Amino acid sequence: MASIAAAQVQEVRSITRIERIGAHSHIRGLGLDDSLEPRAVSQGMVGQKMARKAAGVILQMIREGKIAGRAVLLAGQPGTGKTAIAMGLAQALGPDTPFTSMAGSEIFSLEMSKTEALTQAIRKSIGIRIKEESEIIEGEVVEVVVERAAGGGGARVGRLTLKTTDMETNYDMGAKMIDSLLKEKVQAGDVITIDKATGKINKLGRSFARARDYDATGQQARFVQCPEGELQKRKEVVHTVTLHEIDVINSRTHGFLALFSGDTGEIKSEIREQINSKVAEWREEGKAEMIPGVLFIDEAHMLDIECFSYLNRALESETAPVVIMATNRGITRIRGTNYRSPHGIPLDLLDRMIIVPTSPYSHQELREILNIRCEEEDCQMSSDALTVLTRVATETSLRYAIQLITTASLVAKRRKATEVSMEDVKKVYSLFLDEHRSEQFLKEYQDEFMFNDGSGDAPQLMEVSQ
Amino acid sequence: MKRNCLIEDFEGLDSIQKRIKVSLTFPIMFKNTIWYRSLLDAEKSCLKEDKLKKIHYKFQDDKEMVEEYNADTQVLLRRAWKVKGKLGGDGKWDVEIGDPIPDATPHIEGAGADIMESKDQPILTRRNTRINLEWRIRNLPYPIETYSVSANNEERCIIIRTTNKKYFKRLQVPELDRLNLPLEQANIQCTHSFNTLIITYKKPQQLLEMDKEWYQELSKVKPIKDIPSDCKTQ
Repeated sequence: MASIAAAQVQEVRSITRIERIGAHSHIRGLGLDDSLEPRAVSQGMVGQKMARKAAGVILQMIREGKIAGRAVLLAGQPGTGKTAIAMGLAQALGPDTPFTSMAGSEIFSLEMSKTEALTQAIRKSIGIRIKEESEIIEGEVVEVVVERAAGGGGARVGRLTLKTTDMETNYDMGAKMIDSLLKEKVQAGDVITIDKATGKINKLGRSFARARDYDATGQQARFVQCPEGELQKRKEVVHTVTLHEIDVINSRTHGFLALFSGDTGEIKSEIREQINSKVAEWREEGKAEMIPGVLFIDEAHMLDIECFSYLNRALESETAPVVIMATNRGITRIRGTNYRSPHGIPLDLLDRMIIVPTSPYSHQELREILNIRCEEEDCQMSSDALTVLTRVATETSLRYAIQLITTASLVAKRRKATEVSMEDVKKVYSLFLDEHRSEQFLKEYQDEFMFNDGSGDAPQLMEVSQ
Repeated sequence: MKRNCLIEDFEGLDSIQKRIKVSLTFPIMFKNTIWYRSLLDAEKSCLKEDKLKKIHYKFQDDKEMVEEYNADTQVLLRRAWKVKGKLGGDGKWDVEIGDPIPDATPHIEGAGADIMESKDQPILTRRNTRINLEWRIRNLPYPIETYSVSANNEERCIIIRTTNKKYFKRLQVPELDRLNLPLEQANIQCTHSFNTLIITYKKPQQLLEMDKEWYQELSKVKPIKDIPSDCKTQ
């Protein structure tokens, strides 16, 4: 029995490891201590202490939930951790606070006007916590089986067997459910609840019947009774939904399916007004609670003057979320006008913002970040290779250096080494050009590229430089 | 004399109490129940399709119900309630009696929970006959001795248990609840064949009378002549 369980655990682990690694996957929080002071290296965050401290203050402001409609601007050079700070903030807020992340260019769509896209983004960032009756499956896990269809890349199918003291049922699971089961590390003997409407899994503890499987239990395992009666129950559950989700449910005849097909189109303003008054009613009756969340707009300089003026107005509403924008521009043209302004954002909006600057990383911090990325990308690197890589990062850019980590580790693997050495880094450095060397190269050979008639300024410049 | 009188008085009291008891067990006529009155007050519309008579009720508390009768046998084939979420939206039909309505919208990946009971798991359906309330549970392969079916008046439901602890179900009996009738073990019967457990509950006299009376009442609702149709292509 125990060996079967162990075999299943093994299987589960081997599947969890196939996770794709994103550019900011190493960020797990803001790296602050309880008094919101930044630690030097923590939760994937390195350096940038002032900006993180500022983010900590903003975090506190959001958690208290009283202040609506503030805007924060993260400004700094490329590769100084603006997006990382926003990601860290999202992680620190936890899953219950809505956090919407978008890029400034996302609002330009043919299907929707710019203001509609912005309104939707804003309403996605406001959560409503509401009690609703929901179907819940509660039982002890007998077996979890995950199979991959033949031929490798096929869809996974899963079967879950749950029981109570009175009955036992098999369930079929889709890929999404399998993922969340694996994420929660659910195994035979656990007592769990599954919300049928949302698919949310909650681990209640381990069954008393399994109290003797010492090796399979962690230290903080909590033991609970196996539930009684029927597996499926109706229970009052507290849900967090966003205003946008309520909009969508009420805007179309075919209801919530539009949410998942992604085709929501424009939502009529009457519907939004109706919902606002309904929510206000619920709040007065104490049936619902509003959670103002965070809207993060990356590359905010891509917004144009109409969006900025719309934001000016939208931020004044009492149901506005905290808007965080990030930009890497200096004094530049405001999109849609011929005027120049700091960060490409009009002065009247800048005036309503608090601005958090990020500054370039120091040599030591770069080394630390590269080290964290090496761990994240599962790559052993020798100390002198890391030194070389840090120099590459200071001389070119942090992003380029990070690109070299996995490429170098692949090169090292080809010569069957376990550790990435300095030579590997040098090799990939010569194989892949950074932006500066690429520019040099182009300047040198501009004549031989297409559509160059040789009469431009560049050849003359080259002659001068020679 | 005096004494006699007292006894007589006493007897009189007793008989009054008896009479009260009688009127409790032979209850308040179904016509006085909240259910029957709400049916009378509901806004009703009727559709006739061949031998199918469909009635749509809109109750005063904004609830919606649909009933389908076989016009020949006068048996109720299906009764469904519209269930609306708190957040609004169109709502879904929850079938109380009859076969479930097949879901017209295809399953879209990512919609709701990605988990449902396997195809080989027990499925419960309601299918009433003229004289019986009937529950059918398909995909139950265990022999008849496995099941114990008992009426539970405290929880107002029929409880099915299995000795092998594979199946357990509480069956609500809304028909009896609505008329405030007690559940009686003697009225329950079950049979098992072709992997199906069939539980029948003999309709009490009250319910039979009400069914009959209500069907008469429904004949007053005039069916809509021109049936609105979505399919005009052919």
